[in-house]
Formats: sequence, C-alpha cells, structure tokens
Amino acid sequence: MEEYRIGVYICWCGTNIAMMVDVEAVVEEIKKLPNVTIAKDYKYMCSDPGQDLIVKDIKEHHLNRIVVAACSPRMHEPTFRKALENAGLNPYFFEMANIREQVSWVHTDRIEATRKAKGLVAGAVKRVVHHKALNKRYVDIHPATLIIGAGVAGMSAALEIADSGQKVHLVEQCNQLGGMVRKVDLNYPYLNSSRQTISQLIKNTEEHPDIQIYTESKIDKISGYIGNFRALLSNHQEQRELEFGNILIATGLKSFDPSIIENYGYKRIPNVITSADFEKMLYSGLIHCENGKEPGNIAIIHCVGSRNENYHPYCSRTCCMTALKYINQISSAAPECNIYDIYADMRAIGKDCEELYASTSKKNVMFLMFDQQHDLPVIKQNGNGKTVSIEFTELLSGESIHIQANMVVLMTAVESQANNKEIAHLAGISTDKNGFFIEKHPKLDPVATTTEGVYIAGTCQSPKDIPDSIVQAKAAAARILATIAKGKVQVEVTTAQVNEDICCGCQCCASVCPYSAISYNEDKKVSEVNEILCKGCGTCASACPSGAIVSKHFTDNQILSQITGVLEMQIETA
Amino acid sequence: MENLVNPKLRDELKKFGVQDWEGCYHCGQCTANCPLTEQGQLFPRKDIRSMQMGLKKTLAGSLEPWLCYYCGDCSKECPRNANPGEMMMALRRYLTSVYDWTGISKLIYNSKIAEFALIFIIAALVLILSIIYSQVPDRSLWITPEGGVAINQFFPVEYVHFGDMVMFVLLAGLLISNIVNMYFKVIVNQGIKVHFINYFTEFWALIWNFISQKKFSKCDSKPYWYVHLFLVTAYVTLFVMVVAFLTWFQTDTIYAWYHPQRILGYYATLGLFAGTLYFIYQRSRKTKENSKHSHYTDWTFIVLLFLSTLSGILVHVFRINGMALATYYIYIAHLMILTPMLMIEVPFSKWSHLAYRPFAIYFARLKKAAENKQKEANMEATYKLKESIA
Ligand code: SF4
Ligand code: SF4
Ligand code: SF4
Ligand code: SF4
Ligand code: SF4
Repeated sequence: MEEYRIGVYICWCGTNIAMMVDVEAVVEEIKKLPNVTIAKDYKYMCSDPGQDLIVKDIKEHHLNRIVVAACSPRMHEPTFRKALENAGLNPYFFEMANIREQVSWVHTDRIEATRKAKGLVAGAVKRVVHHKALNKRYVDIHPATLIIGAGVAGMSAALEIADSGQKVHLVEQCNQLGGMVRKVDLNYPYLNSSRQTISQLIKNTEEHPDIQIYTESKIDKISGYIGNFRALLSNHQEQRELEFGNILIATGLKSFDPSIIENYGYKRIPNVITSADFEKMLYSGLIHCENGKEPGNIAIIHCVGSRNENYHPYCSRTCCMTALKYINQISSAAPECNIYDIYADMRAIGKDCEELYASTSKKNVMFLMFDQQHDLPVIKQNGNGKTVSIEFTELLSGESIHIQANMVVLMTAVESQANNKEIAHLAGISTDKNGFFIEKHPKLDPVATTTEGVYIAGTCQSPKDIPDSIVQAKAAAARILATIAKGKVQVEVTTAQVNEDICCGCQCCASVCPYSAISYNEDKKVSEVNEILCKGCGTCASACPSGAIVSKHFTDNQILSQITGVLEMQIETA
Repeated sequence: MENLVNPKLRDELKKFGVQDWEGCYHCGQCTANCPLTEQGQLFPRKDIRSMQMGLKKTLAGSLEPWLCYYCGDCSKECPRNANPGEMMMALRRYLTSVYDWTGISKLIYNSKIAEFALIFIIAALVLILSIIYSQVPDRSLWITPEGGVAINQFFPVEYVHFGDMVMFVLLAGLLISNIVNMYFKVIVNQGIKVHFINYFTEFWALIWNFISQKKFSKCDSKPYWYVHLFLVTAYVTLFVMVVAFLTWFQTDTIYAWYHPQRILGYYATLGLFAGTLYFIYQRSRKTKENSKHSHYTDWTFIVLLFLSTLSGILVHVFRINGMALATYYIYIAHLMILTPMLMIEVPFSKWSHLAYRPFAIYFARLKKAAENKQKEANMEATYKLKESIA
C-alpha cells in the first residue's frame, strides 16, 4: 500500500475566515492527524504565491494528497486542481473544506467556529486518502450541426456556420423558411420592409451549398452526446438518420389566442382583430372594417394576454413597438383616422425605439393608460353594428372613460410553441414554467443549455425582437464553430458506473437520471451508464436499490470516511 | 355622452394657446411644485391630462384653472418643457369661451380678425353717437362763462350716464348669465349636492378673495402680486366712479387737488398707468414664465387698457388747462377706446377672470363642503352598520 503524504493548507481569506476561525489552532490540531506531512496557514491561498506554495511543497516534501480549507469549491476547486497538475500530481488527489461559507460567514462564536473548522478539515483529510486518480477524457466532434427551426435565428446561425465551411442540417416543420418574420409587413423602428430583409436571408440560405434544408419535417428521436449526436428525421414520405456534433434549437414561438379573454370579445364582436390579423391587412395594403369601409377610429390595446397572471405573466417584448409601427402605418395610409393607443407601460427597449416613441407621439394618436393586471378594458358592440365602445379607467387621469372605435387591434401576446416540451425531452434540456427553453445561466451563459452540445437561440428562449434573436443565433454559431475548430471536447470524469455483477436490471436508475444517460442492455440484462452523457450528479447511485452504482469521486467509502473524520474530531475537541 | 374621449378637442385648444399638448409625460413635478394646489384640488397635471384626452365635460367642470395665478413655478421645473403654467392659462381662455353662452368669446379667441372687427364696429358706433349728441346748435355754449371747458355742455353727463347704465346692465347681465352657466357646469352637471346653508356660509370667501386677491399672495413672486393688486383696485375704483357715479365724477367745476374726486381719480389713474406699463414691459421682455407666452387677446386687453388710461389722462390735462377743443376730441377718442374695451373684455375675454376667479374659489368651497358632508354621511352609515352587526 502506498504511503500517504498529505499537505493541508488553511486559508485566512484576508480577515474573512481569520476573524472567526483561529486558523493557527486549526493547523496545530490537524498536524497531529495521521498521514499529515505538513499543515500550514496562509493569507490568500488562491493567490499566485498561495498556489506556488502548494506546488513547492508537493515537490519538496513529496506530497501525494492535498487538502485546502478555504472558500466554497465552486470558485477555486479548479484553481487548486490546476496547481496539483502543475506539480505533476493527478488533480483529483485533492479535497477542499469549506470553512468560509459554512463556518466563518455563518457563525458568531469564535471557539465553536474554530472547532467546526477543525472537524471539516479532519473530514477532508480522512477522505482524501481514498481519492483515486481520474483522467480527463475527450470525445471527437462531428463537424455537422443540426439546427431546428428556420426563422431568422435559425437561418442566421446556419449561414454563419455554413459560411465557415461546415455542414448544417436545417430542419423546418412548415413548408417555407422564414418563421414569424415572414408574416410581418414592416419592422420597427425604421419601418423598412421585413419582406425584403427576410427574402434575402431565405435566398442565401437556400442557395448555400453547405446547408441541407428539410422542410415539412420533424425530429422523432435524438440520441448520443456532444460531438456525436444522431437524429431520426421524418417527413410525409420517408424517415432518415442524420449525424452531427452540435444542436441549435431555434423553434421560435407562436401567437396567443385572445378569444379566452372575455372582456375583449375576440371572434364574438366584429372588427375586433389581433395584431396578426392586422398585419395581414397591412401586408395586403388595405386597412378596412368588415363592411369594407376604411375605419375612422382605430383603437389599439396593448398587453393582450401578457403581463397578467391569468394569461401570461411575462412581457411579450415586441408588441409595444409594433403598436407604434401600426400608428405610423395607419397615419400614413389614413391621415384622418383617430388612433387610440391603450397601453399599460410603453416599453421602448432597443436602439432607436425611444426615438420612435417620441416621433409617433406627434401623430394623430392619443395614448391612454390602463391597468393590465386588474382592470382590463371592456369592449361592447354598439347597436348600430358599425362601432364598438371601449370602457375602462384611464390611469393618468383617474377617469372612467369610453371610446368609440370602428376597429380594435389587440396586441396579442406571444407564447412558447406547443411542442417545446417534446423537443426539450428529445434534446435532454428543460423548459421554464412558461414553456420557453432554459439557458445554462441567465446572465453568464444565455446561449448554451445544461446539456453539452445543445444550444438555444431566438424566441424559443424568451420573447425578443429580430436583432436580439440574431445576436443570440450568431453567438450560438460562434460557440458551435469553436468546438468544431477544437475537434475534441473534454467531458466530465466524475461519472457514475454500474457494477454489472450486482445490478438486477430494475432500471430505477434510468427513470431518475435527469440527463438520460442510462440505457438498458437487453443482452446482459443490466443498466449501463453512457459516461459522456453522465454529469455525475449521483441521483442514480442514491436511487439504486441494489447499491450497484458507484459515483466516481463520491464513493461510499469516500463519503463515510469524511463523516468519520468530522465526528472523530468533534469528539476529540469536545 | 359622458366622458367620451375626444381627440378633436386638442386642435381646438391650440387656438386658445396650447402649444405642445403631447410634451407632458405626467411625472407630476408641476403639481409637486405648485404653491397653490392642495388635497382635493390637484393641478396643473390633472388638467393637462384632461386636455390631452379631450374630456370636455371634465374640463368644463374643472375649477382648478382659476385657482392657478400663473406664478410659473411649474413651468420652470417641468423636465419636458411642457409649459404647464401656460397650459393652465390657455385653459382659462378656453373656459371663458365655455361659460359664454353667446359664442362671442369663442369667436374672439379663435379669430384675430373677428376681435379687431368687433372693436372697430363698437368704436364706430360710439363715434356716430358722439357726433349726433354733440350737435349743439350754439357753439358758444361749449365754453363756460369763465372761459373754461364746459364738457357737460358739449357732452351732457346725463346722456353719457344713461349710455353707461345701459352698458352696465348689458355687461352685468352677460357676466352674471355666464357665471350662472359656470355654476351649472361646475356644480350641477358634476352632480355635486350643495347643502343650502353653505351658499351663505361660504359667501364671505367670495368677497374676501375679490378684495384681497389673497390666494395670489401665496405665490413666491411678491412684486407681481403688489402690482396686480394695485392694478385691480385702481381698475375697480375707476369702474365704479365712471359707471355708477359719473355725475359726481364728470363735473365742469374744477375742484382743489385734495378733493376726494381728484384724489381717487389720481390713485386709479396711477394704478392703471403703472400697472399696464409694467405688464407691457414684462410681456415684451419675455423673461418671466407668466409673460413668456402671449396670446393676441392678452395684448389686446393690456393695450386697450393702457390707451384708455392714457386718453383719460389727456382729457384731464386738457380740461384743467382750459383747452376746450382738444378736450372734446380726446374725450370722444377716450370713449371710442373705453367702450369696446369694456364691451369685449368684461363678459367675453380677459377681464372676466376678475369675476370668475373669486367665483371659482367660492364654488370650490361649496364643493369641498359638499364632499365633507358626504364623507360624514358615509362615516355615519359605516358606524351604524358596525353597530347593527355588533
Ligand atoms: S411589449 Fe408592451 S404591449 Fe407587449 S407585453 Fe410588453 S408591455 Fe405589453
Ligand atoms: S437501479 Fe441499480 S439495479 Fe436497478 S438497473 Fe439501475 S444499476 Fe441496476
Ligand atoms: S450520476 Fe446523474 S447523470 Fe450520471 S447516470 Fe447517474 S443520474 Fe445520470
Ligand atoms: S407638465 Fe411637465 S412637470 Fe407637469 S407632469 Fe407634465 S411633464 Fe411633468
Ligand atoms: S403657474 Fe403657479 S399656480 Fe399655476 S399651476 Fe403653475 S405653479 Fe401652480
């Protein structure tokens, strides 16, 4: 049996730890433990001199296990593992004790805090001798990319990737490319033609030799892992198999159906239409009521189905500016028409949007504010059949008012696609409470997902406008191109492993694995972990009734000896 | 129809001097800065909103514009340069036309040509009447036996006084009917139930505010208030003397300088002269908020008032110096300026604020009293309800 030579380092973290923990006393106590060759304290272990200290000691004292008692491993475990590597030691011969977040920051009694710190460090010392050397693993990346959804986001990413010479499989469920933007006449804030913008994009996509387009197709199955995915794709006639290394999901969103909002009478009252209906009208070039006449009074209602707990809690993000766009379009088509814009908050986010608001205010429009949460306007049909009246409390004046209008445009919310859950399941990612795909980190990584090799872009992640969708699509393309360029990716090493001799084949583990990493081997009648998909979360290990699963780096032995270490020290110092 | 939003009203209001109705974004700074607004009478933001929305009925029932004395504090602090003070001024012009049932006020405010035409027509009528009445066959009678100016011979005071009285009845009739109209719009149509006794208990406020212009003094700009008070008292004094006591005021006898007739006359003349000059100066300089923006009707009023004063002074100077012919001509000119000024300004234009302001304060007090009564009644009902439950 090898001789264990452990180096223990207690960090002060400036005064963060040192003010509540007597670090020197901890060092003295730990020195007495078996296998501890040296124990030291230092002001900032994560600093360069701190790391150098570890490297130097490993070389000088032939240390083969290291314990650092400092902050949470979240930030600096990789830092110290790197130091071990630099000294020629396997990075997994390392254990960290958290004496900042779990001790100094949460306790007020210095004596007890010091005692607890001693316990945690002793547990780490006891545990680290059971650590095994684990080796980094890499997988090759298949250079093709699957993109699901051919709207602006999907096409922009496809072009970006294909332009650098990589193959793209672009799958679209409709019979045409273009998504939502294809249905829009002009776009804000510059009021130029969406048609032109999108047709150029469609043309470039269709003509690109490296983009393979599959319209009216859907994905039936995705298997594999980053670098080596496979998918089954089908359309009316046939089913085929694709191979690719990365997936970009850009499935967009759809319009909310406002007929469930009783107050607005959509589909019940004539001339109450949705923004999608109005867009069609603008596209055809003629604004008209059901009787064919040009309306003299048009009301626009914002936040229809958005920002209201009964429908969708979120802001649909583009409807405010779309409403301003309508005002401009109406006032140039029908300058005499009175426009009433019934809004809840005017959200002019984005470049030049506030300017659009300012210039639109000068048109023949009256802005009226309502409470989109508790007091929706009521639309009633008038006896004459030609006009409707809209009644509500205007917030800025506090008055109960009513408006007579020939036409009402409902700025309907957008919502996640109905089959998002299905797609999420296929790709091994998750959706939020509103059905939008969840990104890896809402701020630091809004493009990736928790499954490696799977990215999201555009409005399938959250409602957004065209530039934001394209930004996200191109960011995803850059990420995908980076992995393709590397050729290989590193995968998790602390995975789970099934002991085939003990496994009874119950498949409890497969049903709990959040990453679909476990499959059942029909021949051997046991479960198997795909080590590339496995994230080492440990869920299966705790679920297995036979105790057949071992989580590497978190074996029973390692955890039990850590607990023993803590408890022994607590008894010792009582 | 009740509270119907009316986008057309905004165009109409522009003629009354509203410049930039979309400027205001309702931050409320102006109301926070206004020294005169108070709980229950919040302005100017709220009225600006009613204007933007074209709420005719709400505007017609709003007393707040009259409670504003245009100190301009609100405009100074407005982050959007929306000129809330001037909006209130424009609203006062608009409300004057709303209270006036004849429609003449609206005509004057909406058309320069109409206003000037009216002035000229009235002036011409006065001229014709003067020529008819002054055709005394014996021109020697135009001079007193002592060789002084015999204004009562040239222009018998009874005739003028009769004309005066006719005009007075006409003006008073118009003004009173407009105030009654105002009462209907701000109290009756708004569904306010005033307790009968309050009409009397609150009446002192009307008188007191008319005399003291007390509300005005709350504004920070003290000199402005003094000048305005001086002008108002001068105006009222002269108005009473000329219209009600002309036989006492217009005499051929020249009294000593300390005679009350002359003392009062000098006080009033000085007040009018200094006051109008001050306002002409301010309006031309455009440095103060309240004189930065002038509607043409503001200029007409102040210029006519100044010219009336000036011609009045000249009549006096020529008369005491025995310059008969000059006195008579300037006297006719004086009447030609004064009459249209009174006929147009008192019931239809700027002058009417002298009546609407105190009445607005009176009506506002009636409203408050009614609200308090309502509150008490509500509280009593709640109390009773609680008791019955207990
Ligand atoms: S963008 Fe505007 S209209 Fe649309 S949900 Fe948000 S606030 Fe409402
Ligand atoms: S839970 Fe355990 S026994 Fe059951 S299949 Fe999974 S590894 Fe085998
Ligand atoms: S450790 Fe987690 S990710 Fe890995 S196989 Fe088990 S449950 Fe799945
Ligand atoms: S007038 Fe000016 S200060 Fe007053 S609410 Fe409007 S923007 Fe604000
Ligand atoms: S001008 Fe003066 S009194 Fe009038 S609203 Fe503005 S701050 Fe108030």
